[in-house]
Amino acid sequence: MMMRAGSFASKSRNCRLSSSSLNRTLHGVVVRKRREGMAYFNRESRALLEILNNLQRAEKQTTIDHSFYEFGLIRYHIQVSPSDPEDIRLSVLTPPLSADASYSNGLPDCTLQDIRRKYSNFAEVIEPPREGFLLTLKLNFARLPRVKDRAKAINDVSSLQAVILSSQLKDILWNLGSKERVHATCKPFKLVYHPQEPFFVSRAPEKITAIFPMCFKDNSDVVLATSFFQELTELGNSTAFSKAPRCTWSPIPPAELRGENFEYLTTNGGFVSVDVFPYHVEGTKGDQTAWILLNFIGYVKYHVKCTRGFVQRRMRQRLETLAEVIQQARIKGYVSNKKLQSRKKGRKLMMGFLKLKKLKKGCSVFTDQIKRLRSRIKIKGFDRLRRNWFRVPRISASKKCSKLD
Amino acid sequence: MQANTLRLYLTCIRNTLEAAMCLQNFPCQEVERHNKPEVELKTSPELLLNPVLICRNEAEKCLIETSINSIRISMKVKQADELENILAKKFLRFLSMRAEAFQVLRRKPVQGYDISFLITNYHCEDMHKHKLIDFIVQFMEDIDKEISELKLSVNTRGRLVATEFLKQFI
Repeated sequence: MMMRAGSFASKSRNCRLSSSSLNRTLHGVVVRKRREGMAYFNRESRALLEILNNLQRAEKQTTIDHSFYEFGLIRYHIQVSPSDPEDIRLSVLTPPLSADASYSNGLPDCTLQDIRRKYSNFAEVIEPPREGFLLTLKLNFARLPRVKDRAKAINDVSSLQAVILSSQLKDILWNLGSKERVHATCKPFKLVYHPQEPFFVSRAPEKITAIFPMCFKDNSDVVLATSFFQELTELGNSTAFSKAPRCTWSPIPPAELRGENFEYLTTNGGFVSVDVFPYHVEGTKGDQTAWILLNFIGYVKYHVKCTRGFVQRRMRQRLETLAEVIQQARIKGYVSNKKLQSRKKGRKLMMGFLKLKKLKKGCSVFTDQIKRLRSRIKIKGFDRLRRNWFRVPRISASKKCSKLD
Repeated sequence: MQANTLRLYLTCIRNTLEAAMCLQNFPCQEVERHNKPEVELKTSPELLLNPVLICRNEAEKCLIETSINSIRISMKVKQADELENILAKKFLRFLSMRAEAFQVLRRKPVQGYDISFLITNYHCEDMHKHKLIDFIVQFMEDIDKEISELKLSVNTRGRLVATEFLKQFI
C-alpha cells in the first residue's frame, strides 16, 4: 500500500518550532522558548512517529506493509509480519546531500556506525537493505521493558532521516579538505537539502564556512529578512556570543563563491556566511551544528512568515481603532458594532416570530377550508325535520359542498 | 524637537482644514441632475479654490484641494528607510482596501501621495465638522506612530530570533 505523508508533513517541515508556552513579550513580540535541547526544528518525522506509536498502542496484532513519501523526497517503508508482530522492518531512502556523494555502495560507513551506535538497544541494521532503499532497520521495541524507554526509542527512530543527513554533512565536511592541500582554502562544495535552495560549504585551514544564497519571492520579505540578517551579524560580533559562529551578511557574493555557476550567485536577499570553528563540531555538538546549518534557510523563511503575520495583526487592530474615531464623528451618534449586531439579532428573531405567526395563520385558514369542504350541508331547521320525518343518507366527503347561508 | 515640528505641522493642517471645510450642496453646472464632487471632476474652474500644500519636509507633505462642494486631502507619509517604506506601503494599502470602514477615504491616492481623503458636503451634513477634522489629524498622527512602532517591533523581533539562533551554539 502506498500513501503520501508529505501533504501534512511538508507543511511542518520549515515551520516546526518546539511546542511550548509563549513566555516573553516585548513590544508586542512573542517569542517561543525552547522546551528541550537546542533544536528549533523537530527532527522527528511526524508520519513515522504516528505509525510507530499506533503500532505500539494497538492491542490486536496488525499486519502492516506501508510505503510513503515525506516532503516528496524521503521514502519510507514499514513492514510488520503477522508471524512476528514484535519484528518491525523500517526501510528509508533519502536523496544525497550533494551530487558528488552518490549512494551506489549504500550509506557511508560513518553513517552506519552512527546509526548502530544510536539505536543499538532496540534495532539492528539489516544487510543488504530492502531493494530500492538505502537502509533497512529491524526494530524490536519489546527489548525495552519500560514504556517510557519505548516512547523515547520511537522518538529516536522517527529522527532517522535527520541522523542520516547530519552524518552525511559531517562526513562531507570531514573529507572536504583531504583531497586538496590541508593548509589552503579549498573550492566550495554545493549541498542541496531543499531542492531549490542549495547552499555552499567551504573549508579554510581553521574553519568551515557555510554560505547561504538567500532568495525570496516578495520584496517585502527581502526587507524583513535583511533586517534579521543585520541583527544576526551585529549579535554574532558581540561579546555575549563570542562562542557562537560568526555570521556575516553581504548583498554581493562572497569571495569564496568566485567562479561558481551564475544562477547560484543571483539572489535578491544577499548571502549569509556562517563560520563554524572546530569547537562547534566537537563530540555531540557536531550533529546539532549540522542540523542547524541544514535548516538555516527554513528558519529564516519561517521568521519572515511569522513577522508578516504579526504586521498583519497589528494593522487589523489599528484599523478598528481608527474606524471607531470616524464612527464617533457621526451626528446621529456612534453605534458600536456589538450594538449593531445585537440589534440585527433582535430584528432577526422578530422576523422569525412574525413569519411563524403568518405561517400559523395560513395553516389555520387552510384547515378551516378543508373542514368546510368536508362538512355537511347545513339548512336551518332541517335537522329537526330529518329527526322527525326521515333519515338522510350521509354525503361523502369527496363531493364538493358549500355552506348555504 | 521632532515632536515640536510635528505639532506645528499638524496644527497648520488643522487650521487649514477648518478654514477650507465650508462646503455646501452644489449641483453640476454642466450636466443636469448631476451632483458630483467638483474637486474630482474640475468641470468649472470658478468652483475650485487654490490648493494648499503643507510640507514638513521633502518626504512628508499634505495637499489640501478645496472646491464648493468637496475637499480632497492627500498625504505623503515619511519613509526614512527601506523597512519604513515597505511597512508604510503595506499599511496604507491595507487601509485603502478597507476604505468603506472610513467613508471619507479614497480607494486610490492622488498621484505622488500615499493616501487621499475625499470629504463632500454630504459627509459634513452627516458628521460633526470638528470631529471630522480631528479624525484627519489623528489619522496622520496614528499612521506615523504605527509605522514607527511596527519598525521597532520588527527589529526587536529579528533581534530575539537571532539571539535564539545563536544561543543554540553556546
